[in-house]
Amino acid sequence: MSLSVEQERQRAPGDEALLSVAGLRREFGGVWAVADATFGLRRGAITSLIGPNGAGKSTVVGIVGGAIAPSAGRVVFDGADITGLPPHQRARIGLVRTYQLSSEFGRLTVLENLLVARPGQHGERIRTLLYGKRSWRRQEAELVDQARVLLDRFAMSGMEDEYAGNLSGGQKRLLEIMRALMCQPKLLLLDEPMAGVNPTLAQKIEGYLAGLAAEGLTMLLVEHELGLVERLSESVIVMAQGKVIATGTMPELRARPEVLHAYLAG
Amino acid sequence: MNAAFTFYATTILVYLGVDILAVWSLNLQYGVAGIYNFAWIMFQAVGAYTAGVLTLGPATGNGGFQQYILGLRLPEPLPLLAAGVVSGALALVVGIVALRRLRTDYQAMVMLVISVIAVLVIENVTGLFNGPAGLSLVPQPFGSLPLSSLGYQWFYVALTAVVCLIVYLFVHRVTSSPLGRALRATRDNEDAAQALGKDVVRLRLFVFVLGGAIAGISGAVLIQFIGAWSPGSWAYVETLVVLTAIIVGGTGNNAGVMLGALLVPVAFNEATRFIPQFGRPGLVDALQWIVIGLLALAFLWFWPRGIIPERRRRFPGTPAVSAQLADPGEVA
Repeated sequence: MSLSVEQERQRAPGDEALLSVAGLRREFGGVWAVADATFGLRRGAITSLIGPNGAGKSTVVGIVGGAIAPSAGRVVFDGADITGLPPHQRARIGLVRTYQLSSEFGRLTVLENLLVARPGQHGERIRTLLYGKRSWRRQEAELVDQARVLLDRFAMSGMEDEYAGNLSGGQKRLLEIMRALMCQPKLLLLDEPMAGVNPTLAQKIEGYLAGLAAEGLTMLLVEHELGLVERLSESVIVMAQGKVIATGTMPELRARPEVLHAYLAG
Repeated sequence: MNAAFTFYATTILVYLGVDILAVWSLNLQYGVAGIYNFAWIMFQAVGAYTAGVLTLGPATGNGGFQQYILGLRLPEPLPLLAAGVVSGALALVVGIVALRRLRTDYQAMVMLVISVIAVLVIENVTGLFNGPAGLSLVPQPFGSLPLSSLGYQWFYVALTAVVCLIVYLFVHRVTSSPLGRALRATRDNEDAAQALGKDVVRLRLFVFVLGGAIAGISGAVLIQFIGAWSPGSWAYVETLVVLTAIIVGGTGNNAGVMLGALLVPVAFNEATRFIPQFGRPGLVDALQWIVIGLLALAFLWFWPRGIIPERRRRFPGTPAVSAQLADPGEVA
């Protein structure tokens, strides 16, 4: 059953919701990029965020990820209000995002891109410098093993020593997803993961995301390709002109005139 | 080998040591962490002044012809260590202002402005470090050792080498550790690093302070060797020489930037010193600056990674194979 925006707003963030946002607003120079966004994400499910260009989807992802401060509203993650929390602290509690544009660490190898992703490593602490390698080498070896398992799973084992900057656009997408997984996320925000990816690789990425969902990873997917959204998502949130105008499954949303109007009228 | 040449060679070796400290310092900030510190020379200068006024006796000595603060006549290595601490502390203050809220290009502008302001302040507040005339007659450390003039030159070369070795061990530990990897990640993509849990401001502040401290130590080693330091030694363009050495040698590579220190501030400057003067007075010096600028541009255009590029880090063991796969859920 689909919930109307009003019903969604009235529903208290229940135990099921890993993330809930309420009354989110963000103004840029007099323009409301996000005028009113309230929704929740169920644990263990893929929820998609769709809408025409300029609907405010990326701004919402930016606010949830912590890169953009909201003008009003709040963000609750795993029971804690994280509205004012900086991005790096959000990542440390399991809220991890990917970007619309490739964001690889170009002068690090593929394997290093994965190793650097795990927050709170012993070897990143300044005092560790005084103790030497022994204090962080074991953790590093474990991370290398985990990274190689991921590389194998995403069919990129042969590329571990390649500079990330030399990868193709699609491979960079895969790397970004792997890197986010190395962060051990509770919630993964995927901002247009298929942008600029060829159809064959897009199909592969879709398979990987479905696999991760089957393992119980909660994801918020921002995507324009509605067929993909329908195949992957349990629930879909529709935004237009900065507001959440509907939530539900894709078949339900297709029957909603306001959704059709938003897409047809932009 | 005659005495004059030995004197010249040992002097060059000390300069090389100072330049190596300089490039390691700026490489940590620019090459590893991506901070455009165009005020680098200021941190070296503050270290030099600090060591100078801590090594000199009271300003009333020598007929009071110099005006400066402190004049504590502290024994070595206290002035050297204090130079690192004071420059590091200044880097912390500058870093808090410039690195917390500003992005790289704005940081570069702020640093350049700070560097220019610093020279003007030191020139005009003459009671601090003797204004435009600068400090002179700074005693050499361990000057009471029973060494000949040449013997002391070699002694100072060894002292510089020991300082370089200690600094290298620390710099290498930073750059080869996961901390160094996190710094390189923030250099390559600040937003993505933040989104993966890296406290970018804290990381940058750390490396800025560490680089500042090393710059200060390099200034201390230099002033204690040449015995003088004035605003003419640290115009903002001096930072560009160190930056060019890093670009030529290999940005991000400790060995590469050492080579850069040998090639640019030492070999290039020394080689061009013997060019006969021509044209109007000062033309050859001006051409030196132009060539250094062109050298940086040429490398950025044709060999952006430098002569010895940043090392590709490989890890022992072999890539995983499907048969050995752990439960992917453990990773996810």
